[in-house]
Amino acid sequence: MKNVKNKKTLWMILTGLIIGAIAVLLVANGNPKNMGFCIACFIRDIAGGVGMHQAAIVQYIRPEIIGLVLGALIMSVAGKEFKAQGGSSPVTRFVLGFFVMVGALMFLGCPLRMVLRIAGGDLNAVVGLVGFVVGILAGIFCLNQGFSLRRTYEQSPLEGGMISAINVALLVLVVAAPPVIYFSTEGPGSMRAPLILALVAGLVVGALCQKTRLCMVGGIRDAVLFKDFYLLWGFIAIIVAALIGNLITGNFTLGFAGQPVAHTDGVWNALGMVLVGFASVLLGGCPLRQLILAGSGNSDSAVTVLGLFVGAAFCHNFKLAASAEGPTPNGKIAVIVGLVVVAVIAFVNIQKQKKNS
Amino acid sequence: MTYIATFYTHFGALTFQREQKRQGLNAQMMPVPRALSASCGVCVRFAQEGEPQVEGATDLEGLYQEEKGGYRCVFQAE
Repeated sequence: MKNVKNKKTLWMILTGLIIGAIAVLLVANGNPKNMGFCIACFIRDIAGGVGMHQAAIVQYIRPEIIGLVLGALIMSVAGKEFKAQGGSSPVTRFVLGFFVMVGALMFLGCPLRMVLRIAGGDLNAVVGLVGFVVGILAGIFCLNQGFSLRRTYEQSPLEGGMISAINVALLVLVVAAPPVIYFSTEGPGSMRAPLILALVAGLVVGALCQKTRLCMVGGIRDAVLFKDFYLLWGFIAIIVAALIGNLITGNFTLGFAGQPVAHTDGVWNALGMVLVGFASVLLGGCPLRQLILAGSGNSDSAVTVLGLFVGAAFCHNFKLAASAEGPTPNGKIAVIVGLVVVAVIAFVNIQKQKKNS
Repeated sequence: MTYIATFYTHFGALTFQREQKRQGLNAQMMPVPRALSASCGVCVRFAQEGEPQVEGATDLEGLYQEEKGGYRCVFQAE
């Protein structure tokens, strides 16, 4: 058993190293700095790409996201692990996904980008990490009190595959490029690696994440709850690989000010990630993990991804998203509202234990 | 014998583990072994002589007996 565990851990470290290296490769080929991957930013870009919001600098149907979902689909089908299931409080999950995006766009990145920002020397992301851990601890407290979104049920394969079909449709759209979709001509949305490279990168990372269960939230959750550091190794390996890659490519700058697609307001960087960490523990995984589970047939995760997508559109339509200039007043209100909503969801869903069950 | 009980929810695992401990049995919560599931749920690993009584456990998904180099499925929910 110990050998199996060591082998598993080696696979996880290798996966983290590959993801970190691919992230650096994507930046070297056109993606914004410290944004080889960012699930929140890229889903936001997709929302803009199909015209759900009109922030002209962040509109592009990102092939990385499509690749992640389809990579997980292919790997789960190949490994006979595709399992269509769902029905565990889907609307609540939608709302939690919505507020994960509100928190992520306050910080300007999902947990994966937080890790990549740290590897680029962005100390604001270290502040974000502190908030992220606090949010995870809040979520763990609720889990220990009996929090549950109730069980999943088996569903039809069509239901399990629907989010993958949507991603295939998005791929057709971005390849065909009809005039109804949007492509940023300036700003982060205009900075993009070649389509085929981004798609393959997503496919590889999606497949690896399905196999290893890599999860940014799960790493810290399992380390705290069970002293199990398996997932955390992936987290650390991404930082190591991206750090080395950034040093080689000259993209490492240590400091707070002037970091790419980031702001220096520490309080709101931390609070944004408190919201992301808290809601993600209640959901059972970070945004990356939600994409992977969605591709593997979990329609609850698919609904969460739709929550992220709609949340992103609202963030730009309602001016909730922060920018390099810092957070907006509306964004601050939305993060506070999000923390209250998530706390209420957590409290209301604490189940009482039956005796002798 | 060592068993692994998997659950649809974290709450189910927590309830089961606390009940096992209340009965004086050694039961530990941990992430579900990758060989049993691609999901990221938690399970309870516990030792018991003879076939364990798990009927009526909240949100129970499956029960597996640890064997040399793997697991043998003892029970799986419909």
